[in-house]
Amino acid sequence: MSAPSRSRFGLLAAFACVCFACRPAPVPPEVQEAESLQPALERAGASYLIPAEFERFRGGLINLHGLVARESAKYGWWRDYRNVAEEGRRMVALGRTVLDGALSLKEGRAGRLREGAARVKERMARLVGMTRYFNEDDAVRKALAQAEIKLDGMDLLSRSEKFEEAAALLADASSFVAGAEREIVHLLERYRDVGEQRKWTRWAEETVADAKARGTTAIIVSKLERTLTIFKKGQAVAVFDIGLGKYGLSDKLYQGDEATPEGKYRIVRKYPDTPFYKALLINYPNSDDLKAFAEARRRGLVPGQSDAGGAIEIHGGGKNKLTQGCVGLENRDMDEVYRIAEVGTPVTIVGTLSVEGTILAEIGKFLMP
Amino acid sequence: MKNLTKSLILVLTVAVVLVGCKQPTAQIDSAKAAIDDVLKGGADKYAPEELKTVQADLSKAMDEIAAQDKKFFKKFGTAKEMLDKVKADAEALKAALPAKIEAVKNEAVKLQGELQTSINDVKELMKKAPKGKGTDKDLAALKGDLEGADAEFAGIQKALDAQDYIGALNTVKSIQAKVAGVKDQIQAALDKTKKK
Repeated sequence: MSAPSRSRFGLLAAFACVCFACRPAPVPPEVQEAESLQPALERAGASYLIPAEFERFRGGLINLHGLVARESAKYGWWRDYRNVAEEGRRMVALGRTVLDGALSLKEGRAGRLREGAARVKERMARLVGMTRYFNEDDAVRKALAQAEIKLDGMDLLSRSEKFEEAAALLADASSFVAGAEREIVHLLERYRDVGEQRKWTRWAEETVADAKARGTTAIIVSKLERTLTIFKKGQAVAVFDIGLGKYGLSDKLYQGDEATPEGKYRIVRKYPDTPFYKALLINYPNSDDLKAFAEARRRGLVPGQSDAGGAIEIHGGGKNKLTQGCVGLENRDMDEVYRIAEVGTPVTIVGTLSVEGTILAEIGKFLMP
Repeated sequence: MKNLTKSLILVLTVAVVLVGCKQPTAQIDSAKAAIDDVLKGGADKYAPEELKTVQADLSKAMDEIAAQDKKFFKKFGTAKEMLDKVKADAEALKAALPAKIEAVKNEAVKLQGELQTSINDVKELMKKAPKGKGTDKDLAALKGDLEGADAEFAGIQKALDAQDYIGALNTVKSIQAKVAGVKDQIQAALDKTKKK
């Protein structure tokens, strides 16, 4: 072979080696597809949503790298990427499963949080509506405020896809709402007592019947319904909205407890001009009140040197005021009551005369299993 | 001599091509390790957008590798540069994280102080509210609301102590919203009394 021929042969041989060594490396496309799934999994949050599955995928990917490297290191004739392709397909399948799982979990968690928050908000709205029935709502409002703050935080976390932390805040919010519900149930426990309900109904009926028999006027105050009803000859002729003491739903026990008393009373004085507009003084404490006070003192329930109290009136000045235990009305309503009532007019104050359509019916829902 | 030169050139060409044929596996692993490091440092909380950018760049680098792999003459040079940039960016992000965390912490502490002032201001406003003007019940209810906000305030310090600065910041914002609402309602109740 001549020198030029040898050169040309050498060139051709070298070219052939280059072509062979660098033949389109049949690194299977499945390998790249598997590789591209990892960032997709990270964006989907698989690393924290389903960490075990994510790590399994990552580990598999590292093994796949190893397989590719081993095959690629071999000379052309000895490379066999079939195992690599198979492993690549397995990794793609695994990656897609993990990705679907992460996305599904994410949407599922977000959806559950939304539903949970909606249920808690519904309970909160119901409780806020109930607080209009009573003044003793400090603890309830505090708990509801805390629940609202927790829900707000939950929303921020949910939007950042921090679902576990968001779920914890949702549980906290629900817990606060449950506390508020328990507080209301406790507050109105006495009102749910059938014996108490019957006693109040009997008082009211006796008062109205007696006034009817005498042909006179009677006044019935119902604390839970926040109403003052005037009866003439046994018929209700006017109903007015009222305000009560700070702890108006409780039965007054001693001076300064800010509770509104329950019982059968009479108007003993009429005052045309007081700091609270017109006023009608009733004869609290009556004999039953004094007996209850004595018993309470004996049991240590009366603070200091307090006595049973007094100066309980029906007066004007507004129904949204917090009285010291009196029954408050708007001035225009007080004008009417003052005009109709006389000294000696019976005034019976009860806890409630109705269960249906009141807060007591709503409470039943808290107590449902 | 000429033939020797030509052979040498060919050998070098072969070597270059062979080297260029290999996937930059080491750079891939290196870039991914750098991103993992940044994740462990809390980048997902304190620099989420920067983290997403780095992760997206990694995806682009992987796509470039995939594209080159399909070719006869592969050139992974660009992909390597992209991977090197991903690694450098991840490392830079890791270096910047402490400052970002500190900034969030400082913001949370600052807002915590402002919130305490807001709560105190609302308490004072409530004390000054005229009593017996038909607003008692509203004000009593709002007092309960403020007590709730006050009770949650302690959670801010708890989060700061646990170095959960994002958590502290979120709590501050939630309480701020509630206190602002209470203040507005107190003001509305007071305005009602003035109209009477």
